Amino acid sequence: MEKVIYSLFLLPWLLALLVFVSPFHRLRQLITFLSFPILTYLSFKVWNLKLPLFITPPEWVNLAVTLFDYGLLLYFLYQGIKFRNFLVSVLAAAQLFLLSWVLLIIPHGETPPIYVDGLTTFMYFIVATVGSLICIYATKYMEQEDLDRENRFVAALLWFLGVMNFAVSVNNVEWFFALFETTTLASYVLIRFRWDSVSISNALQALWMNQIGGIAILLALLFGIKYYSVYSFTDILKVNPAVTSMIPLGFLAIAALVKGAQMPFHRWLLGAMVAPTPVSAILHSATMVKIAPYLILRLSPVIKGTLLAKLLIVTTGFVFVSAGLLALTQDNFKKILAYSTISLLGLMMLTASMGSPTAVLASLLLILFHAVVKALLFMEAGVIEKLFKAKYIEEIRRLVEKAPITVVFISIGFMSMTIVPYGIFMAKWLTLEEASNFLSHGAYVGSIIFIATGSVILTLLYFKVIGVMTRKRGEFMRFKLEKLPFIYLSTAGLLALFTIVGSIFIAHLSADFVNAVVASISSSPAPVKASGLTLITPLSEVYGWQIIGAFILLLIVPIFAYFVHFPEVDRVYEYTCGERVETTLGTYNFFCVSQVEPLIETAAVALFIITLVLGGGLI
Amino acid sequence: MELKKFRKKSPWILHYNTGSCNGCDIEILACLAPKYDLERFGILNRGNPKQSDILLVTGPVTKRAKERLLRLYFEMPEPKVVVAVGACACTGGVFRHMYNVENGVDSIIPVDVYVPGCAARPESIIDGVVKALEILEKKKKEIELPPYCKVPEGEKLNRRKLLERCLEVINAGRRS
Amino acid sequence: MNWEALVFTLFSPVIGGFIYGLERVVRARMQGRVGPPVLQPFYDFLKLMDKRSIVIHSFHAFMGIMYLVGTWFSLYVLLSGGDLLIAIFFHVLSLAFLVVGGFSVRSPYSILGAMRELLHMVAYEPLYVLTAAGLYLVTGTFQISEILNSNEVPLFVLPLVFVSILLSLPTLLKKSPFDIAEAHQEIIGGPEIEYSGKFYEAVYTAKWIEYVYVFFLIFLFGGGNHLLGAFLVLFAFFFFNLLDNVTARVNFRQMVAFHWYVLIPLVVINLMLLALWRG
Repeated sequence: MEKVIYSLFLLPWLLALLVFVSPFHRLRQLITFLSFPILTYLSFKVWNLKLPLFITPPEWVNLAVTLFDYGLLLYFLYQGIKFRNFLVSVLAAAQLFLLSWVLLIIPHGETPPIYVDGLTTFMYFIVATVGSLICIYATKYMEQEDLDRENRFVAALLWFLGVMNFAVSVNNVEWFFALFETTTLASYVLIRFRWDSVSISNALQALWMNQIGGIAILLALLFGIKYYSVYSFTDILKVNPAVTSMIPLGFLAIAALVKGAQMPFHRWLLGAMVAPTPVSAILHSATMVKIAPYLILRLSPVIKGTLLAKLLIVTTGFVFVSAGLLALTQDNFKKILAYSTISLLGLMMLTASMGSPTAVLASLLLILFHAVVKALLFMEAGVIEKLFKAKYIEEIRRLVEKAPITVVFISIGFMSMTIVPYGIFMAKWLTLEEASNFLSHGAYVGSIIFIATGSVILTLLYFKVIGVMTRKRGEFMRFKLEKLPFIYLSTAGLLALFTIVGSIFIAHLSADFVNAVVASISSSPAPVKASGLTLITPLSEVYGWQIIGAFILLLIVPIFAYFVHFPEVDRVYEYTCGERVETTLGTYNFFCVSQVEPLIETAAVALFIITLVLGGGLI
Repeated sequence: MELKKFRKKSPWILHYNTGSCNGCDIEILACLAPKYDLERFGILNRGNPKQSDILLVTGPVTKRAKERLLRLYFEMPEPKVVVAVGACACTGGVFRHMYNVENGVDSIIPVDVYVPGCAARPESIIDGVVKALEILEKKKKEIELPPYCKVPEGEKLNRRKLLERCLEVINAGRRS
Repeated sequence: MNWEALVFTLFSPVIGGFIYGLERVVRARMQGRVGPPVLQPFYDFLKLMDKRSIVIHSFHAFMGIMYLVGTWFSLYVLLSGGDLLIAIFFHVLSLAFLVVGGFSVRSPYSILGAMRELLHMVAYEPLYVLTAAGLYLVTGTFQISEILNSNEVPLFVLPLVFVSILLSLPTLLKKSPFDIAEAHQEIIGGPEIEYSGKFYEAVYTAKWIEYVYVFFLIFLFGGGNHLLGAFLVLFAFFFFNLLDNVTARVNFRQMVAFHWYVLIPLVVINLMLLALWRG
């Protein structure tokens, strides 16, 4: 039983080691490929265990974690001094100080430091499937980029998966701090991977911003010990926040916001795009940033309905809208994806902080589908970068003529984030209907406005990009598909397939599978039922025929459109008032929005401080 | 059902000025205004050749305008009629035989109805349009070519090729 | 299967055509003209059927047809009495085809128009979501069939919401002052510019179906009182025709700003006060 859990942490590390030392590219690919079935099988075994599960590892592990903590922070300090980065070194020093203080006053608790419940297993599944698919993709990507350093890169990614598995299953907040900082280290190493000046400066930026999250966790730990004398998640959930201080919870929420790249700490995630694309994929989708909604979900039963939760709703909702707005001004494909990640992370945390079973269900659906879709989109970003040499959306003009498969994948990815039958839409819908029950609370009305506005802005953004891709000069005379490497095709294809199948069977997915996770988080499952394909909530239902109809319209028809020809029909040129002009068509980049960017950032800083001060009860 | 009879019930107009003094254009717009109200015949000014049935042309067709006129003509789907409005559009008017004009619309595209006058009165424009509707009802759906643009027997050209053939001719200046 | 809704959906182009015909007459009368016959849209329809077809490319033409199908489907979703929010979001789906079609040709007008179409959506979509929340607050359900059978009359408790929906009607139907996506004098119809003949017919008919869609949303404000609902529809019809006649086009920033900073706050004030009052 415990062995399964341990092997989930250690196997990726072992595979990473094997990849690192193996001399042949094919062998490395084979080892990487093994991670997918093994991790999925292990996650499945954990799912079938009797949950929740408490594990107490041997005593020496505690010591090892503490030593590792010190080593890690000293490494950060060294990096700060080496690259003469003031913020990194100061923050690392501050963390060293706080950590020592924590170790001085920490009581000896009996609570086991490892806790595996439904949410943990849910994250295992995402890491096992999406994470290893990205690793497999990375082997091919690195083959085209730099074969000599492939082993390091893939090994780092695999090691990261193990860290992530460990991070979501710890109960002790001190251990959580260690793993939180390890993910920071991983992002630092991966962003720095190309070793040019831009990469290094962006990596240092990621380092110092994430260290603020570390400091917040340490402060939360200090105050948690001071006020509740507990330092485990399960114990924190037992305290009654109405009678005690909110300060530790406020700091933990701040740590989540920083890790989740919420404004004003969003720049490190944007900076991550200088690294090879699989890094972005793994940072944005499966791991790293998903710790943020994970943390809020862990806390959601205890912060539900408090001022902190309401302020979190407003803050993250604001980020959801404004990150979408800022994404409109971007013309770099990866930057657009990065902004939309920030935006959707805001939505995940918004739903998580609502805390009711339905909202938690929505949050989990968002995490799941966002992981899959973002991985898919970043993979495709890598494909168009490597095969079609395009980085900006101006350069992917008329991609549909060259690369129909890629365009279909990207369109599925984009549409699944906004349009009707897909999983992310369903999550938004559940949230909207949940929020409609609390219209006398400003935060909930605000959440409706934020969700409606934010999702329509994202629709505008995605269709802007789809529009650029699908523009074409004439008929498909010689219809031919582009040649994609098998690994690219299969990994992206699997993810796209999951998006579609998962969305068609959304009723069963949420009622049978995800609802079990909801029950483990918030003590009662969400009141949703499945009957056939129809998803039934207490308020209303989404019929199966609606889902199927929308899929036929959205998916089958556009693919069918490639093959439709009207042969007996005249062709004419576009209407240009009779002039014969060569047009160069760009796209509108919403300069009017970039004017308000400073305002948005100021507001984000203000909301951040308000969340900490008022929500944390510092006033 | 005989669809032909609905052609005259909803003719949509494209109005093109080939270098006119704007006199006729103002009269055309007057037709659409409340006093004459062409919309009671279902007539709309679409401003888009792809959705229009009647091409109202004013002006003597300057050298710069001839290519545009031909392109607009080819962008209109058949059946369609062309109404030349005003003396200039009919014959070149006072500009006839000047170095910069083409002596009327019919030197570029086939014209069905000529509306005289300088400027043409709204009543006569309406009369011309109504005459054009009668012609429209009898028109076929084949592509109509200007007389100078000959397609050799047996050669099958699509719409874009035909347009290019005609453009070649008018730009070379050889026309009978 | 909801047969009533299915039949109504199948005949919706006829109803929408009549509404459009009436609109043209009413508008002409407001301008002191006689105007075309009421059946004029159907004459247009039959004439367009008779035209020779020309297209830019098949993908574009096919998207025009899919716009019709999508709109039709979204109307059925609305009429079949399911969830109101889902029905509102299905409308986005149908617009997606028009937008993708508009983007797929290399025509500046079409691309501008498609972009503006999306901006229309940005303007009115949050408003309609909030309206659905408001209707839920009053009637206690999101199911349209139950809203229509409830004892409450949403109009009496949601007057500000109704006013904002009324003022945003031109945005949904692309009428002046918010007709920026179509803007006949400026971008000549926007995304529909390159359609012609039978393919334009599809887009033209889809617009009639949108009339039915929009007026059904207005009808919901009558709640269980269907007579009042019908009256509201009539009132809304005359009101937006009047608005269409007396106003000039604004630019897209003014449109979005009006919806976000005037209409949404109005709706929010109404909803929050009502929710607080009911406790």
